[in-house]
Amino acid sequence: MLLKSVEYVRPDTVPEALDLLRSNVGAAPLAGGQSLTNVLKHRVASVDLLVDISALAELRSITRTAEGVIEIGSCVTYDEIDHSREVRAGHDIVARVAAHIEDQQIRNRGTIGGNCCLSDPTNNLPPLLVALGATMNVRSAGGSRQVAAEDFFKGYFLTALEPGELLTSVTIPPLLSGVGAGYVSVSVAADSKAIVRAAARVEVKGVIGEARVVLARVASVPVRHRGMEDALRGAPPTAESVRAAAATIGNELEPIADSHGSSQYRREMARVVAQRAVLEAIAEGGGK
Amino acid sequence: MSVTSSSQAATRERVRSWTGQSITRKEDGRLVQGQGSFIDDMGMHGQGYAWFVRSPHAHARIVSIDPASALAMEGVYAVLTGAEAREMCQVPFFQIAPGDGGRIEEWPLAVDTVRYQGDAVAVVLADSRDTARDAAELVEVEYDPLPVVVDGVKAAEPDAPVLHEKAGTNVAWHGTYDFGDIDWALKNADHVVKIDRLHFHRFSSTPLECNGAVVDWDRGTGVVEVKSNLQMPMFAAMVMGPTLGVPINKFSFSSRDIGGAFGNKISFYPQIAALALLSKKAGRPAKWTEYRTEHMLTSTHGNERTFLDIEVPVMADGTILGVKARAYDDVGAYLHYEPLGAVIWSQVVPGCYKFKNVQVDFTTTVTNKCPVSPNRGYSRMQHLWMLERIVDIVAHELGFDPVELRKANYVQPEDYPYQTPNGCVYDSGNLPLSLDMALELADVEVWRRRKLELGTGTGKRIGIGIGSTLDSGTNNFGQARIVNPDLPFSGNGEAAFAKLDLYGEVNINLGTTPQGQSHETTAAQVAADILNMSPDQVTVTTGFDQAHNSFVGFSGTYASQFAVTGLGAVMGAVEKLRDEILEVASFALQAPIDELELGDGACAVRGEPARAIPFIGIANLVYTNNAVLPIELASRVTLNCRHVYVPPFQVPDTEHKTGNLTLTYSSQIHVCVVEVDEETGVVEILAYSAVDDCGKRINPQVVEGQVHGAAGLGIAAALYESFEYDEDGQLQEPSFYEYHAGTARDIPGIRSGSIESPSPFTPNGAKGMGEGGGAPLHAVCSAIQDVLGKNDAIVADSHNPWERVHLLLHSGERGDPRGVRVVSRGTEGAWV
Ligand SMILES: Cc1cc2nc3c(=O)[nH]c(=O)nc-3n(C[C@H](O)[C@H](O)[C@H](O)COP(=O)(O)OP(=O)(O)OC[C@H]3O[C@@H](n4cnc5c(N)ncnc54)[C@H](O)[C@@H]3O)c2cc1C
Repeated sequence: MLLKSVEYVRPDTVPEALDLLRSNVGAAPLAGGQSLTNVLKHRVASVDLLVDISALAELRSITRTAEGVIEIGSCVTYDEIDHSREVRAGHDIVARVAAHIEDQQIRNRGTIGGNCCLSDPTNNLPPLLVALGATMNVRSAGGSRQVAAEDFFKGYFLTALEPGELLTSVTIPPLLSGVGAGYVSVSVAADSKAIVRAAARVEVKGVIGEARVVLARVASVPVRHRGMEDALRGAPPTAESVRAAAATIGNELEPIADSHGSSQYRREMARVVAQRAVLEAIAEGGGK
Repeated sequence: MSVTSSSQAATRERVRSWTGQSITRKEDGRLVQGQGSFIDDMGMHGQGYAWFVRSPHAHARIVSIDPASALAMEGVYAVLTGAEAREMCQVPFFQIAPGDGGRIEEWPLAVDTVRYQGDAVAVVLADSRDTARDAAELVEVEYDPLPVVVDGVKAAEPDAPVLHEKAGTNVAWHGTYDFGDIDWALKNADHVVKIDRLHFHRFSSTPLECNGAVVDWDRGTGVVEVKSNLQMPMFAAMVMGPTLGVPINKFSFSSRDIGGAFGNKISFYPQIAALALLSKKAGRPAKWTEYRTEHMLTSTHGNERTFLDIEVPVMADGTILGVKARAYDDVGAYLHYEPLGAVIWSQVVPGCYKFKNVQVDFTTTVTNKCPVSPNRGYSRMQHLWMLERIVDIVAHELGFDPVELRKANYVQPEDYPYQTPNGCVYDSGNLPLSLDMALELADVEVWRRRKLELGTGTGKRIGIGIGSTLDSGTNNFGQARIVNPDLPFSGNGEAAFAKLDLYGEVNINLGTTPQGQSHETTAAQVAADILNMSPDQVTVTTGFDQAHNSFVGFSGTYASQFAVTGLGAVMGAVEKLRDEILEVASFALQAPIDELELGDGACAVRGEPARAIPFIGIANLVYTNNAVLPIELASRVTLNCRHVYVPPFQVPDTEHKTGNLTLTYSSQIHVCVVEVDEETGVVEILAYSAVDDCGKRINPQVVEGQVHGAAGLGIAAALYESFEYDEDGQLQEPSFYEYHAGTARDIPGIRSGSIESPSPFTPNGAKGMGEGGGAPLHAVCSAIQDVLGKNDAIVADSHNPWERVHLLLHSGERGDPRGVRVVSRGTEGAWV
């Protein structure tokens, strides 16, 4: 069969889903299915039981606190994020990035949880969530825990999730006044994979305060570039100082090479996109 | 005045001439409502589903194949291996190449050796596609890897691994084309511009529908029925017949709607032959629908060509005297349609230009890569790209304005019909006017100002590029003899059949296989004019069917020719039908033919509308009431009229490689304005225009559709699409994940314009135009060249992904080799 035959269940509650995941070694959560079904089609993963979590109401809500903290359920789709007033209100960049993931069909099905749990280095949301300092809320039949986005992505198709655990939601701290975010990619074409990308969250109070600069496609997971972050802290929010800070990005990166870009090109472009993402963040933060 | 006798819901307003009108397409109704008949919609009773077992290696000996586990699977009907298939065949596939190249052997499945990643070694038939796929995974194949060659130039070197032992060399064809006197030109030029290397990359224009076929070898009748989406079915029949030992009249090929084909659906005959043998072995029809990755790995790629040691003699005033170059065409592991690429380019030896001295030393090599076959703009595109690069590089090096340099060197409007150095005749055109129009459509004046205003330090540069091309159409197949003088091919032709049916219906049958070219519509327009009725009253049966259609050996849809050959045939057949109708009407109305006129599906005496006979009356007299007619008339007139349009060609001079190789030359002038990001090399297209001159346009909107389609494919190829192999012969872009086929979001709005320079050589003044000559590749490269500085390297590759552009932008700073030199004659005649 194209898809090897596999059991499918659609639990009614999160605890029920967690139970199924715990008691079946070959079980995997099915969210939007935009990646998992392809993976199964290519027969690179063996799954015996698909636990369809996509309709669980508990995983499908978006809430925004008075302080501007936003929590997005793991099964909220890109399209829903794009059209969410809560997200647009304080986290426009999350909506903008979600709005540009591939085509409408994928945006109708693909979920923030699936996007993160797949841990595909080309996926759009992981570097942004790391830059924004998001927290991944994880539950298993045994309890729940929180993992910083920064510690969540472990490698190609590998996350901090243990067997039996579900990502239930993602919490993103507010982008308060003076804090802005930026997201810049060099892509093969309009709706294709990024060759390299950067996401940044920058605080400006006269000079640059805290800065988080995250690079993607230069390693198996999104990486924070501490060197650039340190160089930014205390610097004036000008193009020159950002350029100087980006110059700290160097040979410590050993990006992959493929037919769309050599390792060397990716390293050089990492500097360019990091610089642009930070400038975009400064401009956005300053506009508030 | 409205049409009265049509039962169709949407009848059209009567016009003076349907030809030249952008009437809506007759085929759209069914196509946009999902009522087309594509290959995966087809089936036959009792069919099994086929899946090919393919080599993961680019070059290897097949040590053993064990299908036992696959055969043991439930639902598996049969497995056919390469060795078995060979046993069932008479001879290898027919080869076009002479000499060594002609000894290259290909069978329906690989025998003993695999020669590219994806080469098929066996094929499984099972009760479902999925079962066949699962079973194919169980076929155990042991390989012994061999050394690999993936570079078309290196393949010709003596120490390269040889793909085909029987040929003893990877050089499938070699020949020198020598027109005019290049040595004289190089000696007498004021400047010689020398370019080390230009490389035209490998890509394939992506059809939405992959290949497919349902094949039945009927054991009772011996008839091999092939339903497929082949775009040139009789070519496949001619190649497969001797191999399978099947006479042509025992084949029954048919092609219905085709979901895109840009030449890449000409040559999947090995797969079809394998399916025929599989069907014979299993005793049931075999259906195969190609997977996308299978398509990208194994269906076909376009020709990859490397030009070396290019020398261009130029006079001080900018007159280009000629070109000298060595060309290597890398055609992949087997010769499908090749080495015809080694001659097809010579339809456009000087491109749009007047220079007379050309020497090209041409080598076709085989490599451990997917076999190539024609891809929209086939072989001319590669050559035209080189010529356009040359013109831009000459302008760049010697300080000429690329627009003025082109205009000064173009064939001028008054030169037509213009004979090229190798005897081709450019029929008509107006290149300088086309260029002016294209520049205006793209608002080039505005962009030139913007470019100056932009200045330096902004990180952005604006470049303006031009692509001038010819789309040569209606091949003289005699050119095949230039690669192999023993081939029994020459001329060209197409057949059509026009019929008045029993109730007076007008029906036209074509031998063509349209894939979006609107044959149903344009054939109806032409017929409607001859019969003075509405196109709605004319039924055109499209889709090729060997059992029902009239065809000739050349029938199909390829190489920009339908407007000439196809419609030439339709016109001839409908004129014959009209004459028969008039003859019968003349008897019925007792009036001389020259007093009769046709209108709205009837024939009347001019000025006496009451004296008329409708077509149903004519049909009645001929088919079911013929005792009323004089016996002489009744036994001569059939209302079934066939016509074969034959273009006026001679056999080319194979010794000198000269002759009239194509009948018509459409021109396409494209202008592209880009903005390049200095830091990243990212190229954004700001404006794009295309001016097409294809002579008389039968349906302008159909022409425009072709212009847009060809432009989109070319732009995507220039910036996004490339098939690259690593040194082990593994394709780096085997799926859409890696191979970015251009989408609507990538392709800019295209402003198109047209002029009509009617062809004096065709029945209707039209010219073929569907291929478009790859103009966007030329225009995009030209625009990138335009942003480069004096010390930067030249644009030397037809594919320019961002990293390559980035390297070019900064090549001057790094002091990279520029890849070009100018040798000039000093005042005292010395070279400096
Ligand atoms: C043609 C194509 C192009 C694409 N291009 C892009 C792109 O450019 N950028 C991009 O970001 N994405 C892209 N995607 C991927 C798409 O965004 C997917 O939707 C995403 O990778 C997975 O999300 P999903 O909801 O579909 O998850 P699924 O496919 O259902 O699941 C993915 C993986 O995550 C696990 N999983 C899902 N949810 C949870 C959860 N809550 N807890 C624990 N594990 C979970 C699953 O078990 C599975 O292993 C593309 C997809 C396609 C088909």
